[in-house]
Amino acid sequence: MKKRVKGLSRATALGLCVVLLAGCGKSTTNEADTALPDPVTEARAEEPGWKDDTDPITIDWYINYSWYSSLWDEGLYSQYIEEKTGVKVNFIVPAGNEEEKLNTMIAGDTLPDIITLYAQDPAINQLVEAGKLYSVNDLADAYDPYFYEVTSAETLAWFAMEDGKTYGYPNSSISPSEYDEIDLIGYQTFNVKQDYYEAIGSPDMSTPEGFLSALQAAKDQFGTVNGQPLIPIGLHEFTDVGNLSLDSFLLNYLGVPYEIDGQLYDRREDSNYLEWLKTFRKANEMGLLSDDVFIDTRLQLEEKVAQKRYFSLLYQNCDFTTGQQLLYQEDPNSAYIAIQGPNSGNDPTIAGPSISGWTLTCVTKNAKNVERCIEFMTYLMSAEGTSDITFGEVGVSCQVDENGTPSLTEEYQKLYDDNKEEYDKLTGSDPLWMLYDQVLYEAWKPAVPVHLQQMYYWSKPYMVSHSVYENLNPGTNTDEGEALAEINLLWGQTLPSLIRAASDEEFDRIFADYISQRDTLGWDKLLAYQQARFEENKVKLGLTE
Amino acid sequence: MARMLKRRRKRVTLFDVVNITFMLIICLCMMYPIWYILVNSLSKGSEVLRGGIYWVPRGFSLTSYASVFKNKDIYTSFGVTIVRTLIGTVTSVFFTAMVAYGLSKSYLVGRKLFMTLGIITMFFSGGLIPYFLLLKDLRLLDSFWVYIIPCLFSFYNALIFMTFFKQLPVELEESAKIDGTNDFRIFWSIILPVSTPVVATIALFNGVMHWNDYFSGVIYITNKQWLIPIQTFLYKAVAESTSNIMVQNMPASVRTSMVTSTTIKYATMIITTAPIVVIYPFLQKYFVKGIMIGSVKG
Amino acid sequence: MAKEPYAKKISGTGLMKKIKDQRWLLLMVLPGIIWMIIFCYLPIYGTQIAFQNYKVTDIIGSSAWVGFKYFTKFFSDPMFFTVMKNTLGISLLKLAFGFTLPIVFALLLNEITGIRFKKIVQTISYLPHFLSWVVLGGIMINWLSDTGFFNELFMGLGLIDQPISFLARPQYFWAISVISEVWKELGWGAIIYLAAIAGIDQSLYEAAAIDGAGRMQRLIKITLPSITGTIAILFILSVGNILGSNFDQILVLRNQLNSSASSVIDIFVYQTGIIRGNYSYASAIGLFRSVFSLLLLLIANKVTSRLEGSSLF
Repeated sequence: MKKRVKGLSRATALGLCVVLLAGCGKSTTNEADTALPDPVTEARAEEPGWKDDTDPITIDWYINYSWYSSLWDEGLYSQYIEEKTGVKVNFIVPAGNEEEKLNTMIAGDTLPDIITLYAQDPAINQLVEAGKLYSVNDLADAYDPYFYEVTSAETLAWFAMEDGKTYGYPNSSISPSEYDEIDLIGYQTFNVKQDYYEAIGSPDMSTPEGFLSALQAAKDQFGTVNGQPLIPIGLHEFTDVGNLSLDSFLLNYLGVPYEIDGQLYDRREDSNYLEWLKTFRKANEMGLLSDDVFIDTRLQLEEKVAQKRYFSLLYQNCDFTTGQQLLYQEDPNSAYIAIQGPNSGNDPTIAGPSISGWTLTCVTKNAKNVERCIEFMTYLMSAEGTSDITFGEVGVSCQVDENGTPSLTEEYQKLYDDNKEEYDKLTGSDPLWMLYDQVLYEAWKPAVPVHLQQMYYWSKPYMVSHSVYENLNPGTNTDEGEALAEINLLWGQTLPSLIRAASDEEFDRIFADYISQRDTLGWDKLLAYQQARFEENKVKLGLTE
Repeated sequence: MARMLKRRRKRVTLFDVVNITFMLIICLCMMYPIWYILVNSLSKGSEVLRGGIYWVPRGFSLTSYASVFKNKDIYTSFGVTIVRTLIGTVTSVFFTAMVAYGLSKSYLVGRKLFMTLGIITMFFSGGLIPYFLLLKDLRLLDSFWVYIIPCLFSFYNALIFMTFFKQLPVELEESAKIDGTNDFRIFWSIILPVSTPVVATIALFNGVMHWNDYFSGVIYITNKQWLIPIQTFLYKAVAESTSNIMVQNMPASVRTSMVTSTTIKYATMIITTAPIVVIYPFLQKYFVKGIMIGSVKG
Repeated sequence: MAKEPYAKKISGTGLMKKIKDQRWLLLMVLPGIIWMIIFCYLPIYGTQIAFQNYKVTDIIGSSAWVGFKYFTKFFSDPMFFTVMKNTLGISLLKLAFGFTLPIVFALLLNEITGIRFKKIVQTISYLPHFLSWVVLGGIMINWLSDTGFFNELFMGLGLIDQPISFLARPQYFWAISVISEVWKELGWGAIIYLAAIAGIDQSLYEAAAIDGAGRMQRLIKITLPSITGTIAILFILSVGNILGSNFDQILVLRNQLNSSASSVIDIFVYQTGIIRGNYSYASAIGLFRSVFSLLLLLIANKVTSRLEGSSLF
C-alpha cells in the first residue's frame, strides 16, 4: 500500500510538472511555412484555373457578421455552383459579438480557410503583420494568373501593404473613375411621410427655421396616431461612439468638406454643422424630440415605422424597406419620400461607392488547399461566376440574349418581383455577396422596386467618391489607436448632452469642453497620423498635383 | 384513515390566507411575461410590430414556429443539447460529489491547501484566450467533449455538497467504518442515498447550466457547426448585430435580413426553453420525497 | 546518523500513516485537484498580459512588458468612480434584496400545506430564470417606454399623471435592474433553501409542537437555524461577487441617457477592452477585481465564522 501510494504521488507529481511546463513554455510558432505548396494543375493566364480541377472539396469560409445566414445547401444557384466547380462552402458565422469570436480565432490560431471581414477592420493589418494571410499576388502568380484578369489593378494597388503585396480582395469596390458605369444609389436621404408632409403644405425644410416649423406643424396637426404620440423626427440610435444620423450622415448632407487647403481637420468643428446641431438642440427644447429618440434601437424604430408614428426620418432608407413596402402597398401616398433636408447652402456630398468597397476576403495560412481557394475566388469574380451567382444556370433560371447579357427567365423574374423572400429562399442568391464583379453586376441587376425608387435615386446628382478619405484610422494597439477610441467614446457621451442642452450657451460650453478634452486625449497625434495616410491615399489614387 | 387525517388537519389561520394570496400574486407576476411571449409568438408578425398584444394573440398564426422548425439545424442542436445535458450532469454531479465528500472531512490531510486552491479558482482566471489555447492543445475544440470535460468539476457546487455532508450525523458512517468498509463504499452506498435533496439540487443546477449554456457553442465550436447546442442556436437567432454602418453597394436586402422578426425570436425562445421547464416537475419528486419522508412520520 | 532515522521514523509514520488511512479519501479528492490544476491554474499564466502590451496576434508571453500601465490607466480614467459606484451600488442592492428575498420565499413556501399547490407555485416561480436577458430586455424596453405597459398601468392607477420614459432616466436604472433581477431569480434562488429545509429532521417539529410552540416560533426557532449554515456559505460567496454584475441584463438595458447609472465594470471592460481587442486592459481590470473580491471574501469569511461558526476553510 505504502509503495503504491508513493508511486502514485510521484507519478502525479511528474505528470503535473510536465503539464505545467508545457503550459509555460508554449512556443508554437505562428508563422506557417512561407513556401507555397506545388500547384496541382498548371497555372495559366488565359483561362481561369478552376476549370482544370473540379474534384469535390469543402472550403471553410468565415464571415465576420453575425446576421449572415447561409443558404448554400438549399439554394438552387449555390448547388449549381457546387456541382460545376466541385467546391462546397461551409460558411462559419459568429453568434452575437463578432469581435470576440474573431479575436479568439486569431489568438488561438484557428482561423478557417477563407475569411471575410469589414475592409477597414484593423484586424486585417494585424493579421498581415503577424504573417497569417497569404498574399493574393503570390497565390495568383503560383496558381491562377487569370486572377489579374478579373480584378482591378487600381483596387489591388489601393489595398497593397508596405511590401507592395495585397492580402485580400474586396467586394463592392468602385474606383472614382468607374462612377459613370454604374447605377448610383444613395441610401442616406432625409425622408418624410408623404401624406403628412403634403397636409402641412409641403414646406421647405432646408433652413433651420423651416425645419423646426415644419416639425412643429406636423406635431400640431397630427398629435396622435392610433392613440400614440407622433414622433416628429426619427434618428439612428445613439451608440457609444455617436449617432450615425448626426455624424457622417448630417456632415455629408451639409456638404462639410473633409479637408481645407489639403489639410484634414475635425469636421465637427465646422460652423454650419454646429448651427444645425443647435437646431436639433432647439428642437429638443421645443419638445420635438422625445426621449425615445435617444434610446431606441433599430428594433424599436421598425416597430414605430409600422405604427406610422414618424413624420420624418433622418435615417438610411435601406433600413426601413419592409415598413416602406407595407405603407406603399396600403397607399402609395402614405409612404416615405426623400426631400431636401438640412442644408447650409452647399450641395450635399453624399458618400458614393468607394474603392475600399465593403468587405475584404482573404486566404489564411491555415487554408488546407490554397490552390482551390484562389481558383474559387477567381471564379466568383469572373463574368461567368457573377452570372451564376446572380442568375443561376443558363436554361433553368437564366437566359442569355444575343449580346451575351444574362437575365432571369420569365418564371424567375416573376417570382423575384412578386415574392422576393420566396425567391431568395429558393435560389440562395442573396447571401453570395462576398466576391463578384461589381460593375457587371450593376449592369445586369434587376431594377429597383418601385416603392424604393424615389428614395434611392434622390441623391444621385450629389454622390461623390470619398475613397481618398478612407482607411485613415490607426490600428488598435497603438497610441493613436487608443486616442481614437477614447475620443470616439467621448463624442458618444458628448453628443446627447449637446442635443439635450438647455440653451445655446450651454451647448457652446459643452462643446468647448469636448474640444479641450479631445486635445488632451491626443488629438494632434491622431490627426498627424491621419494626414500622413491621407497623403498616401492621394498618391495611390493618382490625385496628387 | 381519512377521518384520522381530517381531524389532524390544522385549522386555516390568517397567516395561511395571507400566505396563499401572496403566493398567488407571485405566480401571476412570474407567469405573465411568459404568457406575453407565448401570445406574441402566436400572432402575426405585422400585428406584433404594431404592439399592444397583452392577453390573446392577434392574427393567430403558427408561421413563426413553422419557420423555426424548417431550419433543420434545430434538430441537431436539440440532440446535442439533450445528450450533453444527460452525460454532463451525471458525470459532473458524481465527480463533484465524490471530491466534495473527501474535502468535507476536516481531518483530511492537506485539506487547508486544497480548499485554498479551490477558493482561488473561483476568483482568478487567466482569461478567455489562454483558456481557449488550453482547450485547443487538449484537442477539445470542435469536439463534443468540450461540453463535458471542462464542466466536470465546480468548486462552488463542491462547497454546497460539503456543507450538506458536514451536517449529516456521524453515526451514519460509524458502523460501516467499524466493519472496515472503505470511504468510497461509504460514500456510494450510505451518504449518497441519504443526500437526495442536495444531489437533486446540484443535478438540477448542472442540468440547467448545460441546457442554458450558449457561450461554449459560440466560441469553442467553429468548423463543426452541427455541434452547437440549442441555446447557441437561439442566441444566433436573437442577438442583434453590432454593425451599423451602411456602405454603398452593400445589397440593401442584406440590411433587412440583419434584424430577425420579433415573433421568430419569441418562438425560438419558447421552443428552446419548453423542454427543460417540462422536465423539472418530474425531478421535483425527489425534493418532495425528502419533504414527504419527514411529514409522513407525523 | 543513528539518531536521524529514529526521529524521521516517528514524524514519517505520523504523516504517512495518515495518508495511508485516508488513501481512499485522498484518491477521491485528487481527481478534483488535478482537474483544477489543468483547467484553472494552467491558463493563469495568461494573466501576465495584464502587465504587457498584448495583441491578439502575439503568442502569450512574447509581448512587451509595460508594468502597471493599464492599472493606472483604469484608476485614472474619468469614469473610474462612476463605474465603481454603479457596480457597488447595484450589487449591494441586489445583495440586500436578491439574497434575502429567496430565503423569505422559501420559508413561506414551506409553510404551505397543500402539496400540489406548493409544487405548482414552486414550478411557476422558477420559470423566469429560463428566459434569456436578450429577449427579456427587449420586452422590458417596450414595457418601460412612455407608451408602454407600465406607464399605462401607473397612469390607470393614478400613481403618475405624465408618462415617464423609465429607461431614459438614470435615477430609475438601479431600481429597474434590481427589481427585474430579483423577479427573475427569486424562485430559482429559493430552490437551494427548499432543499436544505427538506433535509431537516421532522422529529424536531414534533417535539416543538408537543412543547406548545406556535407556527411562527417553529419557523424562527427550528427552520431558520437549521439552514443558517447554507445561508452563511452562500452569503460569503455572494459578497465575494460584489464587483461583478449581470452583464447580459445591463448590456441590453443601458443606453446613452442612463449611462451615468448603468456603466458598471463589466460594461467598461467590454467597451474598452473586448470591443477594441485590447485584452491587456481587460485583463488588468479583471485582475484588480479578482484581488479585491478575494479580499472581500476573506473578510466576509472571518466575520461570518465569528458570528455564526461556519467558514469556508
